[in-house]
Amino acid sequence: MCLGIPMQIKGIDGFVAHCEAKGVRRDVNLFLLQEANLQPGDYVLVHVGYALQKISEAHARSAWELFDKILQSEAEQYHA
Amino acid sequence: MPNPDSHTQAEQKKWLEKIRALALPEKVRIMNVCGGHERAISMAGLRSVLPDNIELIPGPGCPVCICPEEDVYDAIQLALQENVTLVAFGDMLRVPVNVPRGEVKSLEQARAAGADIRPIASPMEAVQLAQQLAHQQVVFFATGFETTTAPVAAMLAAGVPDNLSVLLSARLTWPAVAMLLDSETPGFDALVAPGHVSTVMGAEEWRFVADKHHLPAAVAGFTAESLLAGFYSTLRQLDEDKAFLDNCYPEAVTAEGNPAARKILDQVMEVVDANWRGVGVIPASGFALRGAYKKHDARKRFPVLQNDHAARRRVGAMPPGCDCARVVLGKLYPNECRLYGSACTPRSPIGPCMVSDEGACRIWWSSGVREPVTTTQDEAQDKLSQHMVV
Repeated sequence: MCLGIPMQIKGIDGFVAHCEAKGVRRDVNLFLLQEANLQPGDYVLVHVGYALQKISEAHARSAWELFDKILQSEAEQYHA
Repeated sequence: MPNPDSHTQAEQKKWLEKIRALALPEKVRIMNVCGGHERAISMAGLRSVLPDNIELIPGPGCPVCICPEEDVYDAIQLALQENVTLVAFGDMLRVPVNVPRGEVKSLEQARAAGADIRPIASPMEAVQLAQQLAHQQVVFFATGFETTTAPVAAMLAAGVPDNLSVLLSARLTWPAVAMLLDSETPGFDALVAPGHVSTVMGAEEWRFVADKHHLPAAVAGFTAESLLAGFYSTLRQLDEDKAFLDNCYPEAVTAEGNPAARKILDQVMEVVDANWRGVGVIPASGFALRGAYKKHDARKRFPVLQNDHAARRRVGAMPPGCDCARVVLGKLYPNECRLYGSACTPRSPIGPCMVSDEGACRIWWSSGVREPVTTTQDEAQDKLSQHMVV
């Protein structure tokens, strides 16, 4: 998928950030954002385990809503 | 606090009203080149709420679908013949190649036949596996567009174990659009450019669409509001007869993208001519490893990968009867394929567009379009509209 998922950084350890999205925790690689001066609390767009861009909290929330709708719609189709 | 749902619905309504107020030609075709866009359009039922003269065309937006047949064949043969562990993004495992009945036709079948093939979700998993299996050759069959290729480059730039090599089959998105626009029949009047590809590469990458070809272009995000804003931008450009590049996704996209990511990509890989399944060779659309990174090139490491693919070219790019080649280029809607919904379904896919989550056929099927056309486009859109959020 060329679709990134927003996650919030909870902690940073070198190039690895411990991130969370809606209760799901993942380690995310920050190598592509090494010049971005990221801090815990920041939101990033994550694709295949790598943070691609820093984003705002508002954008993270609207993207999470979109994923909920897509997943819900697909689940309905799958069981139809 | 206002209800966020009512806010987004009001936003969608606003864009639709603005679109309906435009004086538009009899037919306008807006192409998207991103599986994520097509999925968002289909799930939100945007086709059914737009005026009838606006067509939304899914174009070359699925890296799994356009991964050359010979590369998938090579990956299968490597996994079967050599003592390697092959890792690939999960979507690749079911992609079929054209071999006689009875032969192994997908990585999934090769795995069932005993090959060590493992699906991964991140390049980091390939590195971890290579560290765990220190005495085993691990090969990462790396497919994808820029959003995936930049992480693969980051993986290599950060340093990987010697026993990890990459079978690189990555592609740039924009050259396929350039190829269509350079052809006599591009098949679209405006472009909605991919959101997260542009997050990495920058909106400016799409400027050629407006400047060179005088077609409206807008980068859009993945919500219905952002897509509608992108459609409105391109339609207003048509209405005013003034094509430019608009960025309707400033939340994640800047003009220059992610400079660090672009630098790493350029440091690790050079851009080369590359074959696209069902399309042919597109100049400067693929990647090859540079300099010191070449020692991790699986094609140099394994003799079974060193072939000229003459035999593969003879078998044809797509399975017999499959219209994926025309679906990929936006020349046919998925349900206009002769096999859609009859011989070819997600449970038993024939063509790559029905395999991948990013394939237009798979997305349309997931959105509820079940009938092949002979049913009309309107009826197909009615099906999609059952799931509309607008």
